Order: sequence, then C-alpha cells, then structure tokens
Amino acid sequence: MSIFKARVQEFENTLAKDEIDLKALRQLCSNGVPDVNSLRPLCWKLLLGYLGPKKESWSSTLAKKRSLYRHFIEDLVLPPGLKENGDKDILCDHPLNEGPDSAWNTFFNDNEFLLQIDKDVRRLCPDISFFQQPTEYPCDIVVNSKGERRLHQRVVPSVLKSANVERKGLGVTKINLINKRSEETYKAMDEGQEAHWEVVQRILFLYAKLNPGQGYVQGMNEIVGPIYYVMASDPDPEYREHAEADCFYCFTALMAEIRDFFIKTLDDSEGGIKNMMKRLSEMLKERDLEVYERLKAQELYPQYYSFRWISLILSQEFPLPDVVRIWDSVLADEKRFDFLLYICCAMILIQRDQILQNDFACNVKLLQNYPPLDINIVLTKAASLR
Amino acid sequence: MSYAYLFKYIIIGDTGVGKSCLLLQFTDKRFQPVHDLTIGVEFGARMITIDGKQIKLQIWDTAGQEAFRSITRSYYRGAAGALLVYDITRRETFNHLTTWLEDARQHSNSNMVIMLIGNKSDLESRREVKKEEGEAFAREHGLVFMETSARTAANVEEAFINTAKEIYEKIQEGVFDINNEANGIKIGQQHSPTNPSLPGSGNQAGSASSGCC
Repeated sequence: MSIFKARVQEFENTLAKDEIDLKALRQLCSNGVPDVNSLRPLCWKLLLGYLGPKKESWSSTLAKKRSLYRHFIEDLVLPPGLKENGDKDILCDHPLNEGPDSAWNTFFNDNEFLLQIDKDVRRLCPDISFFQQPTEYPCDIVVNSKGERRLHQRVVPSVLKSANVERKGLGVTKINLINKRSEETYKAMDEGQEAHWEVVQRILFLYAKLNPGQGYVQGMNEIVGPIYYVMASDPDPEYREHAEADCFYCFTALMAEIRDFFIKTLDDSEGGIKNMMKRLSEMLKERDLEVYERLKAQELYPQYYSFRWISLILSQEFPLPDVVRIWDSVLADEKRFDFLLYICCAMILIQRDQILQNDFACNVKLLQNYPPLDINIVLTKAASLR
Repeated sequence: MSYAYLFKYIIIGDTGVGKSCLLLQFTDKRFQPVHDLTIGVEFGARMITIDGKQIKLQIWDTAGQEAFRSITRSYYRGAAGALLVYDITRRETFNHLTTWLEDARQHSNSNMVIMLIGNKSDLESRREVKKEEGEAFAREHGLVFMETSARTAANVEEAFINTAKEIYEKIQEGVFDINNEANGIKIGQQHSPTNPSLPGSGNQAGSASSGCC
C-alpha cells in the first residue's frame, strides 16, 4: 500500500507545481494513473492539451471553453424549423423547402447522421449499465424543452398503433392491441432528466456539426466513450458538472490526432490506417519471424484484426476499466501512437503458442475476440518491446 | 475437422440491419439484442452438410457504414457467396440495395451467389417493406430471396444453407473454376480422390491442429 501511496504522492507533487512538467507527467502516466481523487481526469486533460501546463490559466480556459460549449448547444441543438441564428422564418420556410438556406433542409440533413449516432450510442458498452443511468447534471435547456431539443426525439421511429379486430358472434367485438415494441434498456428519460448516453449523443452530434468535412463515422462513439466515462466519474462535483463540455474538447483534441483513421480517402496516407497496420506487421516480423510467417502462410492479413485494434485504440478489445488503463499509457506517449503499436504487437506475441498451433479460422477468432487476461501482462510486454 | 469444400461468404448491407446478429445466430445459435457495432470485418465459421458432404463455411461479416467501404470491398474478391441484408422495418435500407448490389457485382467474381435477405421478420407490426417488394427486387436482379429473423432464428439456417446449395450446384454444373481460389472455394482433403481437380497440398484443409470451429 505504501508503494501505491508513494505513487499518488508523486502525482500530487507533479501536479502541485505552478507550471506542470509535462515530460515528468507523461513518464508517470505511462505506468498508469492511480484511481484516486481527480488524478486521471486531470491528467487526461493535460495530456490531451485541453489544459495548458500553466496552472494559472486553467480556471479561465475552463470557463471560456465551457461557456463556448454552452453556446454550441444553444445554437446547434435546435427544435425543428428554427434557424441557427434563432430566427424562425415562418413565411418563406417550410418542411418541403429544399433551398440551401432552409432551416428545415438543414434539420433533415442533420437527422440522417443523427439516426446513425442514435443507433450507435444505444449500444455503447452494453456490458455495464453506466451509460444507461441518468446523469446528475442534465443539460437544462435540453431536458426542459418539452422534448424539442432532445436529439433522439427527432429520429424516434413513430409507429401507429394497430389492432386486430375480432368479431365473435352477435355484436361482440374484441380488439387486441398489438404492442410489440422491443424492450429498450437505453430508455429515454423523463422531462428534467437525461441518461449518460443522451449526453454522449449530443457530444457526437455537435462534433459532426462542427467538423462537417468529417461528420460522424462509426467508431467515434467508442472513442468518446472512455473519455466521457472518466470525466463523468470525476470525484470532484465541480468537474463532474462540466463533464460534457470538458469531454467534448478532449474528444476533439484526440480526434485531431487520429482523424486520419476515420477518413476513407486518407486510408493510404502516412498517418492513415493502412500504414499503421503495415507498421504493426513489420514490427511483428522483426520481433517474431515465426509467428509472422505463420500468419502470412495462413493468409491471415493484419486488417482482419488490427484494423479495429488501431482505429478504436483497443477500446473494443477489453473491458472498460482495462481500456482506461491502456489509454493512460497511450495518451502519455509522446509520439502518440507508437506505444499503441507496441501493445498490439505484445497482444500477438502473448498468444504465440496458440497461433503456431491453430488453423486459420481459430486464429482469426482468437485475434478478433481477444481472450480475457490481466492487462498488466500485456502492458509490461509492450513496454519491454520499446 | 476435415471437409469436402470450403466456401467463403460475405455479409453486406446497411448498418443496423442485423448482419452480425444473423452470423451469431447461425454460428452460435444465440441472439444478442445489443450488439457491438462492427468496425472493419468480423469472422465466423461453421460446418454444414450438403448432399452427404461436409462443407465448411467461412463467413466475413462487414461494417455497414459508408466510411468503411474501402476496407470491406477487398473482401468481395474471394467470396463465393454473399448475403445482402436489409431491414424490413426501415425502408431506406431497402432503397440502398441497388448501390450495394452494384458494389458487390463490381468487386466480386461474376459467379458469386447473392442471397437477398429481409431481416427482422419478427417485427411485423413495424414492417415498412412488403415481402412482395423483396421478392420483386430479387426476381428483377436474379437473386435468391428470403425473409429471416435473427431474433427468433426463423429461416436463418435456410439462408446460409440455401446459398451453399446454390454454390454447390454451380460447382456440379462446372460453372465455378474450383482450382481458382479467387472464387472463394477450396477443396478439402475429404474430397473424393477420384476427382481430377484435386489440387496439390498446401491448403489448410485437415491440418493436424484440432479446431474451435
């Protein structure tokens, strides 16, 4: 326990300085951030550059960014037919107006990607209940808008009630209401409340609106998930209250670094996903020729498994607490995604005996459904490859 | 386990139509209502029997979203069968079929057997696409058609197995060049040795290791 306490102390000392030594902080974080106080959410904000190293700047940065985020919500999360400057041009605008200036046109276009976001956030981390729980700090202008600013309300499938009418003998009529809606665990909350998944939905919606060149790509939900979870679990209530805004900026910062993974036309570029997979493959060849040759002989190409590993920063391969621990190291990496490749390589090497024995199908399954194991084994192995 | 033939399949269609659930129902006989979304491709395998012969199906389940199209396209090559899936409760997934079909035809070998599947047939009260419309589309484009439910497992076996039967018949008719692996078919060691087209060693069939599938 004393070693743990000493580690916490090291973090606290580093974070107590007026100007944070980022190099020292990275060093500390790469071995994992202790799960106490607000250490992790604060370290992630620093590692992602949302907060600068100068401590005196923090309160003004946070105030400015959070207020700006508030404006994004006010201006972009709108009831149908309302212009982004807040005007409602009833005379000229109507739902069938396809003109480029039509607020309705924007509304319908937004709904196309919103529908996608809606589907995806409702399947975020289904093995834990966190995202289905109500947040303590719902966004007041949204949850008290009689549903008008609730994003998922826009894309909810409206189903007309149908009924079977059975006539039995003279004048006796039986009406069986058909009610077969599937049970939803990711339920929408009542007026005044909202669930964490609704907050994540809004973050992704705003990101897509503000980054139209990229929009929303599936998998972004898996990237925002761990960040939001860390921010929204901050023990400090003041930080927790602004988890949404802080998460938005941290997510935006991370996306700026990995956006190439999510843009189809950049697949072949240097930072693109194909090059990352190639680098992993070369790393494996260098470290374990036998395994490399085995996979190659089986025509088991890196894209069969490493595409998802890399593009989602391993967020789908391990349980959330392990993902968060992995991200401590990945975010602490100065050449950001080099260590990610070492982790991926370690994951393959740890399974080497299996891989050398298995046939093609078993190997694909092994690598696509990575078996549960102590994450520290993987990280230690990865560090030894560096 | 050894097999007579190995067929490669690909499952395509819009996101959220139930591609991964169909695969899971077929390979594991279970339904998972909230499924992780598919990024890139996922893999499944199962052995079936046709005409007394063991046939191994290797199935690639692809991501539905447009952004992944350049990654999933490479899987068309080398597929003997494709399941093209739409959701009967969402009209737009039916409207996109033409695009999917064009994509598949462009990037696959010309003999690939395509099965059109209207999934979620258990959600009758929310149906937006009539069964007749699916049938008409299939007829017009020369596809086999079936409505399935990954939830209740209705027609799921049939969808995968009927596709395999079509491929098997095409092999018997000599339509497929089974020595060309780009067609998505491999011959296993269980195959009758009298067959002159038996290739040399070097394929994975019957390799000593026991399998998980």
